[in-house]
Formats: sequence, structure tokens, C-alpha cells
Amino acid sequence: MKTHRLTSGRMILFLLLLSVGLWSSPGSRPFILKGAVVYPATGPKIENATILIENGKIAAVGPGINIPSGAQVIDVSGKVIIPGLIDIHSHLGFFDADLNEFPQPIGPENRALDALYLDSPDWAEAVKGGVVTLVTGPGSGERIGGQSITIKTFGADLTRRILKEAGEVKMAVNARNLSHIQAIRTTLLKAREYMETWERYEAGDKKEQPPKRDLGLDALVKVLKGEERVRCHAHFANDMLTFLKLKDEFGFGLTFEHSTEAFKIADEIAKRGVGCVCLPLVMRIPLNEDLMRGNAILGEAGVKIAFHTDHPVTQEKWLRLCALMSMRYGLSEEAALKAMTINPAELAMISHRVGSIEKGKDADLVVLNGPWQELRSRVDRVYVDGVLAYDRAKEEIHP
Amino acid sequence: MNKRNELFRMSLPFLAVLIVSLVCSGAEKTVAIKGGTVLTMAGKTIPNGIVLIKGDKIQAVGDDVRIPAEAVVVDAAGKYVMPGIIDAMTYFGVRPFDLNDPSNPVTPQNRIIQAYYPFGQFMKGQGGIEPDKEILSGGVTTVYIAPGDRQVIGGQGAVVKTCGPNFDRLILREPASIDMAIGDPPKAALGESAKSPVTRMSIAALIRKSLIDAQEYDRSQKAYDAKPEEEKKKSPRPPRDLGNEALAKLLNREIPARIESDLPDDLRTAIRIAEEFNFNLVIDSGLTAYLLKDELAKKKIPAVLGPTSHPFVSGGEVSSTPELLRVMDERNAAILAKAGVKIAIASFGFGFGGFGDAVQGKWLLLEAGLATGFDLPDEEALKAVTINPAQILGVADRVGSLEPGKDADVIILDGYPLNVKTWVEKVFVNGELVFTKE
Repeated sequence: MKTHRLTSGRMILFLLLLSVGLWSSPGSRPFILKGAVVYPATGPKIENATILIENGKIAAVGPGINIPSGAQVIDVSGKVIIPGLIDIHSHLGFFDADLNEFPQPIGPENRALDALYLDSPDWAEAVKGGVVTLVTGPGSGERIGGQSITIKTFGADLTRRILKEAGEVKMAVNARNLSHIQAIRTTLLKAREYMETWERYEAGDKKEQPPKRDLGLDALVKVLKGEERVRCHAHFANDMLTFLKLKDEFGFGLTFEHSTEAFKIADEIAKRGVGCVCLPLVMRIPLNEDLMRGNAILGEAGVKIAFHTDHPVTQEKWLRLCALMSMRYGLSEEAALKAMTINPAELAMISHRVGSIEKGKDADLVVLNGPWQELRSRVDRVYVDGVLAYDRAKEEIHP
Repeated sequence: MNKRNELFRMSLPFLAVLIVSLVCSGAEKTVAIKGGTVLTMAGKTIPNGIVLIKGDKIQAVGDDVRIPAEAVVVDAAGKYVMPGIIDAMTYFGVRPFDLNDPSNPVTPQNRIIQAYYPFGQFMKGQGGIEPDKEILSGGVTTVYIAPGDRQVIGGQGAVVKTCGPNFDRLILREPASIDMAIGDPPKAALGESAKSPVTRMSIAALIRKSLIDAQEYDRSQKAYDAKPEEEKKKSPRPPRDLGNEALAKLLNREIPARIESDLPDDLRTAIRIAEEFNFNLVIDSGLTAYLLKDELAKKKIPAVLGPTSHPFVSGGEVSSTPELLRVMDERNAAILAKAGVKIAIASFGFGFGGFGDAVQGKWLLLEAGLATGFDLPDEEALKAVTINPAQILGVADRVGSLEPGKDADVIILDGYPLNVKTWVEKVFVNGELVFTKE
């Protein structure tokens, strides 16, 4: 009987602790991460920093900030904090068979969201690697593959998790076939006519029937208006030049994807302010020494670069390795950090929410057990919108 | 008396070395690598050490080695010196279409050495062996080359050096093993044809059948050999079969089987068959091997693991194998090593004559470095790309550590080997300087 009472007493204590735990879980009340070395990505590193998180946002960051009373204090001294990593070229969340609509070479109306497999175990794996935001979308099997989605790797609330439902249009040029580029150009010309037809209609008295809507051309109109960008898969320098000419003609925003030989025409790319999503430089991909130095050449030429894993080509969680390998091949530490945080955020036009540790941005934070620049460092914790999405201490159950 | 005999026996190799060096001293070059931190991989690290090379062998390693006057001295002050890296599983130097014979799931007679191409780029070059600069830039001096994993029994693997004076001198051990694959890789390839085997059951049954055939073959050959010469003259030898001959080597434990498998149950199948037929087994890839750590340790079955950054060396991509993703753990290497399983970390990389380049293997040290982030102690990580693969491949008498009498395959690095920014500066193979970083 006595034992039983003791057990219930313990149970009550446990429930009490549990409820305190729930009440104090990040996201619901302000908390601070205290004592780490913080790399904001947009400014110099801050030693012994404090980050205040409120309502899933970064409310303040600095060496000395005012801590509101009642804020939970989480001691992370000895750790390193970097922004949640961003990969703007991924195929995570896709079944292989859903990546390419091969019979339809031009399909700008196709939307990644409609194929997304949100229960894939890959999302949680990405979080483990500190990768928080993705642009994931169609493959490169078509000339115009469709619209990508910009989404976080964690979060129950999809309205918050999805940053951009659709918009960015994936295109692919390959020197394999001369008709490819003409097919893209013809489609863009058609989109421009469509846009002008609608502009005439909107400017008129609207008495006649409105023009028939075309979902594919609608997507391209956004691109022509500069509201969205073109993501162009390209490996060869001459293909990239061709596409730069197309950009000159139509004036759309552009990033090259993979950008294998971009370093050979770095000046042409830099001059036009085009971003380069650079090859996945992890150990799996067979790249020679010349290609490995490409990122540093692009960086020096002033091209805004971003790393990608091209998941599942390499697993999403190894995005940080791309930075380490680029640094091995001459890219500066500062540029390498930017290329997996603020640069991709800016290229994907989501830097108002993510990409750096700054006041007002989403509290997407990666806590590492050592310098982010070293192979042996590991991700200890990941916060997404201020919620603890991964905690190594709790996740590791194996011997 | 006994003791004297023993002393004499023990001194024989030294006498041999002495005689050989006396005979050859005129022609042999002596090189002394001096002042570096020497990671011998034979149990000790020597700060400010000397590695003395005579001809193609290591003559001495230590901190008070006398440097002969004629020696060429290589200054390694502030640098690290260690044995050449060994990649225990590659498809290096083999044209991709030479890796598998899609017409037959069982080809133990095939020898990968016959597809090995160490002559630089196809239709280019100055003649002779042309080492791949890319793979040398990673300090890789010895590789195991294997037939592909799209067959059940692919054939015979070989251990070769990445450079040498001629083709024959490249070969350290051939055949080195019988290469097999069970589970998803052969299933994916074989499933496309309408022929058996397409299930795990049938793949295992096929291996057993092949081994029983080989047992039968071996028995009849041995029976013939045992006959008196008189009888041999009267009856012809049973016809030779190259496939069974190779499998007989496996059954006689002259060479091990390398069985590529990832899921725990595939690993169990491999162990089961190895025990049934009493052959030596090496697990290849073994993504979930940590789940069987105690069994592997007890049975002394080593594992050649794939690179951490690209674990899916065998089973296609992760999205097609979610069951693997659920059970795999990046601490695989660390857990196995801690349990006492001998592990190697290998690239499973390819590279042929300028196509694809041998560039995965060149980052093998970085893979070892990455594994230290997943609890593998530094010492174990370094062993996993040097002495462990040498032992697993059966060539530890020649390579894998810096010890007197071993081949002079030595690399000099500009920093701690497991750091991402460290570069291999010099590579010696057989005592020859074959690579210098620009």
C-alpha cells in the first residue's frame, strides 16, 4: 500500500514535470540560447552570444541583450550556432518516378507540391544534417519541367512550413539537342504574347470575354515580370552562354543549377547578376581538381553561389560537407558559410524569413558540438521556427 | 641447442636482407624522410621521426635512425608521414561495361585483373604504366579492384598498386577473393531479366548450388591427384573447370569471399552460407552490420564499409530503400570497431582512363575524418584506411604500415591527416617518388 502511494506520488511529480516541460517547450514561450559562438552569416561571428527566440522568431541576438523575465535559459556554451541551412536544389520528397514528366517536354504548369511525399523518412534525415529549408522540385528530363516548392524540412503547420507553394520554374538545357533551346524560346515568346493579351484586356473596358487562362503561361508570366526566377539546369559553358543570351532577350531572373563549367565564363555570369547553384561537392561525386576549384573562381568573380546536394544524388544531410570541400579547394570560410545560408535565401527570394541569424527572421538554428568548419563536428540540435526539431541526445538510442 | 636454432632461424630474414642489400647496394637508392610526425600504423607514433628507405623497401623507422651519407634526405619537418592509403573496395581502372556479365549471374571464373587498365588515358600517353594523378593526390597507393555487384558471384578480385614499373609489379595478390553480392543490388539487376534468380531465396540457393558443384569438382580433382602415377597414365584427368577451380580456392580457405550485403538479414544469410561451407568471409558495404556486432566480432568476420557521405554504395538511392534508412546508423564504423570487429573504410569508387577519373578514392582520408565525427576514434579511422585493409586483403606482409621490410609506400602530408584542409604533398611507391603536389 505504501509502495503504491509512493508510486502515485512519483507519478504526480512526473506529470507535474511533464506539464512544466510542455509549457516551457520552445515555441510557446520565449527562450534564450546562451553562451555559444554564433555565426550569423551576414556579419562577423559573435563569441559568447545570446539569442532570444520569441514566437518562433529571432527577437534579438548579440553579445549582450536584454533578457525578458520568464524566458527559459538554455545553456549552449562551448557550442557553435549557424543559421538553418538552405538547399535550393533538391528533389527530396519525391518518388523517383514522379520527378520527370518525360512525354511532355514543356510543362511549366506542373507543380512540385502535387507530387510531394511528406511522410518520406528523408525529411527527418535532412533535419539531422541541419538542413532546414529546401527548394525541391522536378528533374531535368524536360525542357521546362515545372514549378518547384520552397518548404522547410520540419513543421506540423504546413502554412508556416511552406514558404512558397509554387513559382520558380525549372528549365533544362543540354547540348544534346539543338531543338531544346528553341523550344524554350518559343514558349517564352508565347508567354510574352499571352502576358500582353492580358495586359490589353486589363487596360481595356473589360466588356469582351477575358482571354482563356493557361496555367503554364501564367507561371512563365511571373517569371517575365521578375516575380519568380528561372532555375536552369546546365553543365556546359556554351549552354550557359546560350541561356544568358535568352535572359538578355527576356529579362528574367535566373540561377544556373549544377553550374559545372560556370567558372569558365565567370565574368559573363557575374556581369548579369546571375546566381550559381554549384555542384554537390561531397566525396561521392567524381569531380576532378579543376572542377573542385570552380566555386572559388566563381566566388572571386563576384558571382553569388549556393551549394546543393541534388538529393537523392547525395543525401540532403551532407550539405555542410559541400562547404567544407569548397573551402579545401580555395573558397573563403565566410563565402562558404554564405553559400549554404544567406546566398541561397537571396537567390530563392526568401531572405526576409530565413538565411541568417538576425532579428525578425525565423528561428531556424543549427547547434553544433564544434566548429562548423571541421569534418568531425556534429549537429547536436536543430531548431525550426523556434521548435526543437532534432536533439541528438534524445535521438540516439543505438548502442 | 634449441635456443640456438631458434636464434639462427630468427636471424635468417635479417641475414637475407643484409645479403640482398650488400649485393644491390650499388644500384639501390637510399631515401631518408626526416623530421615529420611518423604515424607508423604499427602501434606507435614517432614525433620527429625518420623513415629510411632502401631501394623499394623500408629499412628502418624510428627517431634515432642513422642516416647513411649517400641517402637523399627529404625534409618533413612540421609534416605528417604515414603509409600509403589502401582502398579496400573499388572498381578503379576498369571500364564500367567490363564490371558485370549480365548474361550470367554466376561467373567465378572471371578475373577482374584482366579488365584492369593502368595505362593512363585511352589512346593518349607516353607508354608504360601511367599512374592516375588524381588518385595519387589522395595518397592512395594500393586498391582492391572487384567485379561489379550486379551478379550473384561476379568473379575474382585483385589487390593492385596504383603505380609501379610494369603491369606484373602492380599486382600484390590475385586472385584475392571471390566477389559475391546478395540482397538488393543483384536483385535489381537480375529482376530485369525473366531468368532466375530474382528473389533472395533463389540467390542464396544459387550460391549453395555453385559451391556444392565446386566441392564435387574439387573432390574429383584431388582424388585424381592422389592416384598412383600408373593409374593416372591410364585414365585422363577429369576435365578442368575454371569457375569451379576458383571456388575451390575459396572452399580450401586460400582466399576469402567478399559478400556485399546491407540489410541485417542479408548479412545473416552471408554468415550462414559461409559457415555451411566453412569459408572465410568479408562483409562488403554492411550498412547495418553494427546490429550484428558481437556475432561478427566473435566469428572474426571483418567488414569493408562504404563511405559515410555516400552510404548507398549498393542499394540504389535512399528513397527506394526506406527500410535501410530506418535501421542504418552513421556510427556503424565506430560501433563495430568498439566491439572488436576489424573494419576498413573504402570508397567503392570507380575511375577509368580519364573517364570519371579516380576521384572518389582520392578523398578516402576525408571519409575517415568524417567518420571521426560519428564517434570513431582517430586511431581507428586511420587504421581503417591503412593496416586494417592490408590485413583484410591479405597483403599486410607488404603494405599497410611503416615497418622495416615492408614496401616503401609512404606519403607525406602537410597537416594532420584527418583534417579537411590537409593535402598529400608527396607519395612514394616502392621507394620511388611518384607524386608531388604542385
